[in-house]
Amino acid sequence: MKKLFVIILGMMLALIAACNRDQTASDGRPTVALVVKTLNNPFFNDMQKGAEEAARRLGVNLLVQAAEREVDVEKQMQIIENLIQSRVSALVITPSGSKEIVPAIVKANQAGIPVIILDTRVNEEALAAAGGKVAAFIGSDNQEGGRLAGELMVKALGGRGQVAILEGIPGHETGDSRMKGFRQAVSAAPDIQIVSSQTANWERDRGYNVFQNMLQAQPRIQGLFACSDLMALGAVEAIRAAGKTGSIVVIGFDAFSEAREAVRNGLMLATVAQFPSEMGRQGVESAALLLKGEQIQPEMTVRIELITRGNAEGSSQ
Amino acid sequence: MTLKTYVAQHGRQFGTLVGLLVLCAVMWILTPHFLTISNLLNIAEQTAIIAIIAAGMTFVILTAGIDLSVGSVLAFSGVVMASLLQKGAPVGVALAVGVLAGFGCGTINGLLISVGRLPPFIATLGMMSVARGGSLLFTEGRPISGFSESFRYLATGRVVGVPMPVLVMLTVFFTAWFVLTKTKLGRYTYAIGGNEEATILSGINVRLYKTLIYGICGGLAGLAAILLTARLNSAQPIAGMMYELDAIAATVIGGTSLMGGEGNVFGTLVGALIIGVLRNGLTLLNISSFAQQIIIGLVIIVAVLLDMTLKKGRR
Repeated sequence: MKKLFVIILGMMLALIAACNRDQTASDGRPTVALVVKTLNNPFFNDMQKGAEEAARRLGVNLLVQAAEREVDVEKQMQIIENLIQSRVSALVITPSGSKEIVPAIVKANQAGIPVIILDTRVNEEALAAAGGKVAAFIGSDNQEGGRLAGELMVKALGGRGQVAILEGIPGHETGDSRMKGFRQAVSAAPDIQIVSSQTANWERDRGYNVFQNMLQAQPRIQGLFACSDLMALGAVEAIRAAGKTGSIVVIGFDAFSEAREAVRNGLMLATVAQFPSEMGRQGVESAALLLKGEQIQPEMTVRIELITRGNAEGSSQ
Repeated sequence: MTLKTYVAQHGRQFGTLVGLLVLCAVMWILTPHFLTISNLLNIAEQTAIIAIIAAGMTFVILTAGIDLSVGSVLAFSGVVMASLLQKGAPVGVALAVGVLAGFGCGTINGLLISVGRLPPFIATLGMMSVARGGSLLFTEGRPISGFSESFRYLATGRVVGVPMPVLVMLTVFFTAWFVLTKTKLGRYTYAIGGNEEATILSGINVRLYKTLIYGICGGLAGLAAILLTARLNSAQPIAGMMYELDAIAATVIGGTSLMGGEGNVFGTLVGALIIGVLRNGLTLLNISSFAQQIIIGLVIIVAVLLDMTLKKGRR
């Protein structure tokens, strides 16, 4: 009986692995690994699509891996260590933690594998202290996006009122920069007060609960800036449950198709569009250039724009 | 004792070891990158943290208990230690306080269970939330990062090529094996899990030993926190989420019965390595993280099915 189980286990593994065998086959083409924060978030799915498109076009072998949970920095490090062991030619990474990624980058450096960072900046000081280096950063200017959202908020509220913020996970560069930009823009209007600012962990259900609590504590909130659409959409449901749909201005970030839909339906005023597929595409293109021995720009900015009812009709790309 | 009788007595753990070897053989056939010394060390290093937590979990599960708080306790110990390091405390003091913080949380669990008569599931579920909230409050949700090289040596250092976390893991398992097989505490751990009433009636201070066992489990979570913090050069208040499930899985795959009284730490080490090898091998094979979760879940189910079938066969 014991043997039978072991055999079944072995066969199961062999079968699953056999299906995937071709992806790691070394046929002389360079292998680029894209490690994102998680694959159960449309933002990173779009990034993957852009990367896949570029990989097909350039004849690059692309591996895509991610931890199950966006915040799991240790699991992301394990994945990178494992990819280093499998001798990929280049790593394109969206760090789950700006500082926590540094030891993994150093390990890649030691193995002579170039690292390109997408979307979330690595903490410069921590990187310098550890003697690590990255070949390039490709991402949007999150602070600028936050600023655009803040200016729109001031305009929408006529320069006065109570505003709340749903933050990302503290210490995540993207969320921190968005919030900084938003706060800067709003501070220009002295009659706008930020009455509550809390994290909802980038999660939709947390966005719902946290904003519901905020509304309990501060019933006169008129505006909400959420550092991601997932949290904004959670809050939209909380607003609906409180019967306040239409009386609270909601601005999100990321411009997922579902958030665009909410903008079209008037449930959200706006969302800041990033172009993750463009980041994925440029990431793979830059890796391919590097592997050919060409120079690449150390910093590439991907465009950012405000999506409101007027321009929400466009496709998500 | 002949090898044959030894194998017969420890059949379940040898079954797990055979499973691990089969798994390694399959990975070896499928990818040339698996069976290299650097990759094997890489797996051992990645497994160390979960394995150390699972060693403590084995003590608790042997008493027919459970500890759901280890992931949160790890985060709490980590941030307490990290804040001391940042304030310039000597490394040795900070490490001791980190382990003690874990031991303290575990002892509270133990008191709630032994003196307070709470079911272990409830007491440690409460601690899971309290310790998590405590670490978030303590750090205001922000990670504490940037430590000295001497501290980071615990993760980055190597002794004759073997990474420090692996050495710590082996030391922990040797000590745990020694305690469980050669000391009073070890015998009572099995006795409590086998028949708690009888153990109380035979005049053993079960309350004391149970409290101590949960304390050990918490202390090992604190030790794991040291390694994790050194590894990432950062202590995160949200670290260790779901680690309790990995630790329980390693223990159960290793043949320790959730009913208590049966199992050993050798099996747990092999169980943790099975999870580590699976994660590593599946990544080398570029199998998506979604499929990885299915496979690991199936392995847990198969391992326990195997356990039950073997026991039925023996009766």
